[in-house]
Amino acid sequence: MLYSRFAYLQISDAKAAKKWLSESWKTMTTAKHIRDKSQISNTHLNIAFTHDGLKQLGLNEENLAAFSREFRQGMVSPHRTRLLGDSDSSSPESWIWGGPQNEPIHLCLMVFGNDKSGKDDLEMDKQVCLAFYAELESKFEENGFKLVYYIDGQTQPQNKEHFGFRDGISQPIIEGSGRVGPKDDVVKAGEFLFGYKNEFGVYPDTPLLASPQGDLNLLDSDAEGSGQKDLGKDGTLMVMRQLDQDVNKFWTFMNDNTKNPDGSINEAESAKLAAKIMGRWQNGAPITLFPDKDPGPNSDINEFGYAKFDKDGLKCPFGSHLRRSNPRDSVDDHGAKESLKLSKQHRIIRRARLYGQIYEGSPTDTRPDGDVGLLFICFNIDISRQFEFLQYTWANLPKNKELYNDPDPIIGGKERLSTGEQQNFTIQDLPVSRSVKNLPRVITVKGGAYFFLPSINSLRFLSTI
Amino acid sequence: MKQNSITILVPVIQEKVQDLLDCLARISCSSEAGFSKKLDDLGILHFARWVVIDHGRSWINDDQTRKPKLLFVVDFDGNESDFLHQICDSAGEIIDEVFSHCEKYPSKDFSKTESRVHFLLFNTIKDSAVYIGALGRTVAQIKIERKLRSYIRDFLDSRSWLDVSAQTLHRKIKSHVLSNPDFQFLKEEKVSIPRINYLGVVFLGLVLLILSPLIIIWILIVHFFYERKDENFNLKRSQLNNDFLNDLEASEDFKNQNQFTQLVDMKSGKVRKVTISAMFLLTNGLIKFFFNQGKLLGIPTIHFAKWVLFEGDSRVLFFSNFDGSWQQYLGDFIDNSGWGLTGIFSNTKVFPKTNFLITGGAYREEHFLAWSRNSELVTNYWYSAYPDLSIKNINNNTKIRVQLMKSLSDRKAAKFLKLF
Repeated sequence: MLYSRFAYLQISDAKAAKKWLSESWKTMTTAKHIRDKSQISNTHLNIAFTHDGLKQLGLNEENLAAFSREFRQGMVSPHRTRLLGDSDSSSPESWIWGGPQNEPIHLCLMVFGNDKSGKDDLEMDKQVCLAFYAELESKFEENGFKLVYYIDGQTQPQNKEHFGFRDGISQPIIEGSGRVGPKDDVVKAGEFLFGYKNEFGVYPDTPLLASPQGDLNLLDSDAEGSGQKDLGKDGTLMVMRQLDQDVNKFWTFMNDNTKNPDGSINEAESAKLAAKIMGRWQNGAPITLFPDKDPGPNSDINEFGYAKFDKDGLKCPFGSHLRRSNPRDSVDDHGAKESLKLSKQHRIIRRARLYGQIYEGSPTDTRPDGDVGLLFICFNIDISRQFEFLQYTWANLPKNKELYNDPDPIIGGKERLSTGEQQNFTIQDLPVSRSVKNLPRVITVKGGAYFFLPSINSLRFLSTI
Repeated sequence: MKQNSITILVPVIQEKVQDLLDCLARISCSSEAGFSKKLDDLGILHFARWVVIDHGRSWINDDQTRKPKLLFVVDFDGNESDFLHQICDSAGEIIDEVFSHCEKYPSKDFSKTESRVHFLLFNTIKDSAVYIGALGRTVAQIKIERKLRSYIRDFLDSRSWLDVSAQTLHRKIKSHVLSNPDFQFLKEEKVSIPRINYLGVVFLGLVLLILSPLIIIWILIVHFFYERKDENFNLKRSQLNNDFLNDLEASEDFKNQNQFTQLVDMKSGKVRKVTISAMFLLTNGLIKFFFNQGKLLGIPTIHFAKWVLFEGDSRVLFFSNFDGSWQQYLGDFIDNSGWGLTGIFSNTKVFPKTNFLITGGAYREEHFLAWSRNSELVTNYWYSAYPDLSIKNINNNTKIRVQLMKSLSDRKAAKFLKLF
């Protein structure tokens, strides 16, 4: 399933849209485990709504108000833009979709294709996906939808993104989901699904119906016992951000800072600096466990801690992208146990997709054709405590650990600095740390939105309002 | 030099409330070249804020008619009177402009420094517990140590040190620094880092131990006769007033530091009053003996914070200047010191449900977050002297200075170098 299309639609006719929903919920991909792989469909479909979309569909004011503030406001508000660091070229005014100048988006259709005769064949998957999409699109008008914009998301067979790094290796496991894995990755269901207890042992702020509408029998009651119906139950919130990647700027920075004395590129050192900045080698192996060189292709190694193997950051610097965004057993100066507890309060489930030319950056491959980037997608329940916390507190703030001027080198850097402000990357080393100065901003935000991904029951309910 | 913190609370002339709000908005707006610049020039002020309270929205539908008041809260170096003289002298016009909206402010003709100071001193209210993240560090010291650190950092980045031992490198840094006339003062002015007073901690522990039967009985009384009758805060963040949150957010997250101002009302009765006073006593003791390393109840991001009981101990104000975002700050509070906050704030009206004084409360994450947002106040003007420094940076910079001036063994020198 390497090919997908994310179509951002408006609801032009709520009645027609609800009629379509009342049938199509049956065709949506669910979490149901299918043992016999041959029984798995070759196409998949999911749907998620913006707050505007739920309103357009006909959800009452009182019920619309039951959602969290972040979801209600969406990704674009002066304060939120400040928090997320969406300024200069990344400012919402210049976005392609989701910004204040763009047409409002009501929902996102996620369409996936998988050609089951081949194995991991992007081209064949693309044909399946687009054929399925064409079928859906032919009925957009009839079903009350209007296409605003779409992004084709691809997955590279080795799961590498455009800078050339294997992505998406570390993922939390939802407690009780049946999946197994390292216990440090098992996180309470309430961090990812409404209606379950979260890492604090309480139920998250779920959208409870404040005024009855639609077929209430389709909804579960509030797990906390208020007696209200829970529109959120088993659903989640989805964050989408289109991040253009400047592959040339990224690798030029690495090359410039590791040049041979004669000015030529030192490929090994350049790749090593990039690995220090990322936290893993390009093939995926954590630099914490393999400090000297990339041990080879397709590493999925994920069972490690920083406190245990790299307390002083001598292997994986404190400021590296991965150490900041998932500090594991090493949050600030807390002990390992406390750190793991804190880390678990800020986990997200990531499902990124690539767009543009499939291109694997490296010290010598720095110029993809046209714009390339990553459609960042993550799932969480408390956008403020999870996604926004990660973006602001752990990525944008340059004060992580004992650092001074070091934002996240991949997603946290600013494009323009104020006078006297520095933007560095510090590499802990012996006898003393080194700083790599003038870190550039290597991504540009091109669009984004917050979505509500309802459960099948809630989707059915939404078709009845 | 000792740092100080004062809280000034003055009634505002009812008809002038809106004018005052506009005036503070204007000062905030033109702050960088205006008032904040003047405060920078004083060189002894760490943080300052103006907050107008009781002028409209009440956080719990308080039915009492309250008179609007202006809070002026400042954290500074040296003694009160010197500081007030300086600020009233060099920023007298702005002080006049603001306080002329208040009752009994000396009229223009008399508004000389002396009368301003007298007015402010007269309206000072007592702080109940004060926490300082970089104890003993003056603004001047914080700034010169920032300069020292970046001077050393530049030196370290000037070449590779792979071939040099830690001890040698320490020596080289020291001689490089001391060859600069700007840093000659390091030879004369010795500073030290506050230490945990273990004797004090043991003493506190003993007192608690001796009192424990009493404390347990007290907690049981609170639980069975008071907590069960409490009106609790049951809202979630999604249910809070949107416009109010917009107002709060409008001044947040511009720099790496933020402020927090909170006002709540005490539950009625002696028992609650005694309980909160005992909690403040304990907090003060812990701050004095134990929380002098840059962390308050385990939270490593607070510069200055304090609690103030006022209006006949019927209300509580909480002020904080911290690094990072509100979400991080409140999350840290729950994780590190939920019990402490609960012990204090469970004595105030409409708090998330508590059990036995220190459980429940802050640990009801969603309600606690909503409660703290809901009882927060819009801070109308806020000043920070060094917005580019985290409290961790400040404490680290002092460590650098202290260790730099010592003669270190190779092992200790290696430890020193880890500070960079």
